[in-house]
Amino acid sequence: MTNTYYEFFCPVKVIAGKAALEHIPYELNGLAAKRPMIVTDKGVRAAGLLEPVIAACEESGLDIVSIYDDVPPDSSTTVVRDIAAIYRKEKCDSIIAIGGGSAIDTGKAVNILVSEGGDDIAKYTGAGVLKRALKPFFVVPTTAGTGSEVTSIAVITDEKKGVKLPFTSSYLLPNAAIIDPRMTLTLPPHITAATAMDAMTHAIESFTCMAKNPLSDAYATAAIKKVSQSLLQVMDNPKDSDGRLELAQASTMAGIAFSNSMVGLVHSLGHATGAICHLPHGLCMSLYLPYVLEYNLETIREPLGELLLYLEGPEVYAATPGSRRAETSISALRKLRDALYKRCQLPRTLKETGKVTEDQLDQIADMAMDDGSIMFNPKEVTLSDARAVLQRAWA
Amino acid sequence: MLAKRIQPLASQAKRLYVELMFQVMGRALQAVSEVDSEVQKEAKVLPVGFLFEMMVMPDGARLIVEHIGEGRFHYHGNSAPRPIDVSIQFKHLTHAFLVLSFQEKTSVAFAHDRMLVDGDVSYAVRMTRVLNRLESFILPKIIAKRAVKEYPENLHLPEKLISAAQIYLKVATHFVQTARA
Repeated sequence: MTNTYYEFFCPVKVIAGKAALEHIPYELNGLAAKRPMIVTDKGVRAAGLLEPVIAACEESGLDIVSIYDDVPPDSSTTVVRDIAAIYRKEKCDSIIAIGGGSAIDTGKAVNILVSEGGDDIAKYTGAGVLKRALKPFFVVPTTAGTGSEVTSIAVITDEKKGVKLPFTSSYLLPNAAIIDPRMTLTLPPHITAATAMDAMTHAIESFTCMAKNPLSDAYATAAIKKVSQSLLQVMDNPKDSDGRLELAQASTMAGIAFSNSMVGLVHSLGHATGAICHLPHGLCMSLYLPYVLEYNLETIREPLGELLLYLEGPEVYAATPGSRRAETSISALRKLRDALYKRCQLPRTLKETGKVTEDQLDQIADMAMDDGSIMFNPKEVTLSDARAVLQRAWA
Repeated sequence: MLAKRIQPLASQAKRLYVELMFQVMGRALQAVSEVDSEVQKEAKVLPVGFLFEMMVMPDGARLIVEHIGEGRFHYHGNSAPRPIDVSIQFKHLTHAFLVLSFQEKTSVAFAHDRMLVDGDVSYAVRMTRVLNRLESFILPKIIAKRAVKEYPENLHLPEKLISAAQIYLKVATHFVQTARA
């Protein structure tokens, strides 16, 4: 018997497809929630994405009691405290987070405060602090990439101390994730591309890193197939709601995959680059993905070769000799990045971003070495290895 | 019937083995931080007074070391003078035994959710590199390869032998000093 062992957990009800938003009142009612609060950001409101949610609730006789629409891109402990105060004042009994990663993480953190009590969210930082279920919590993602709707982590900035506070608990998972293609129809091309490549990276790293397991693998491969088949289609026809739904589902599936099998060096480098150079996360993922796969190649040749089937389809897979499939998978990803660059100038190298200088590479490498995800990279990464990957990604 | 009788003995043997290994590793961490510049470089980033713990949940064997500055560790045995900063916790004695008997690599144990990190993850990542470096020094290559994700290519036999001898000598001296005290 081998030492094979894994854990897999995802209790989130996924409500996906046409008119999915209209299921919210029924689901809230099922949890005896009658006074929901919406947590979102100004961009979501300006894009008119709140209207269908509010209309769906009102048509079922359910009033949204309060709307907080000022979540910043990097949510803070102060914002969380303020929203919790409004929630209590308005006597709300549930939260609907609508938006991308920041609004969703904020919703998770607010749910901790309103369920556990107090004003200091920092008290609950770390893993396993929460011991019981929180208030009813729904998530409506408006980007297709982060997978935050199915992850048990939230990150909130402590402004006073200047540090990011991680919160990890299965109780942070929402009761339901509502995936409705209407919510991503208006995403601009470069965000559509970057977030879809974020989902692609979640899926590929979860399939090739150390904590891979059969259940995560199934979600990861399905997500890769959906992104490969639909991304360029959506880039060419942004109003393609079927394609949008495919990308949104891929994001959720990739989220389920990586939250159960973790990610590796692409994320270590991406987190460090985001912190130092303030580049969007999805862009960093797209940028580093092929370079890290090349670096890991000899350790992940077999699983990476398998992914060719999902990246390029059965014809290409069958026509490619087994010994060349891993390299062809990397080529397929490079081809996809080139196509995205042509359509929306999504950068493929650090130099193309115009926001990174070559003298920042050492700093990025240093910071990446301390990132938790580096533990799950299949190859042991040394500082000089990280620097070499960054140098290759430079230009 | 026989299996039922043997089980408590096997469990006791595992417990003793894990306790002994923690005692050796704690002392070896102090020793390697005195002889290896790579470990010192890793440890220097930790705050002075930083307390690191490895333990078996819920209240089993533990080792505690403190960063006393300049990349040097001090082994505190199984009791901490202050609250711990970073703790790596095995969920069960069996999981600790798997890792400490080199049947499962530390990195694989993390991937298998055998262990939890309580505290700053970036410091835990750093301490894991220090533990890997230590294991590469003190274990024969064939065993070290089972313990670490990748055996360091640049660690050659003469350096390994000299460092290992220094570490084992320091560990033995520390054991004798503890026994005398």
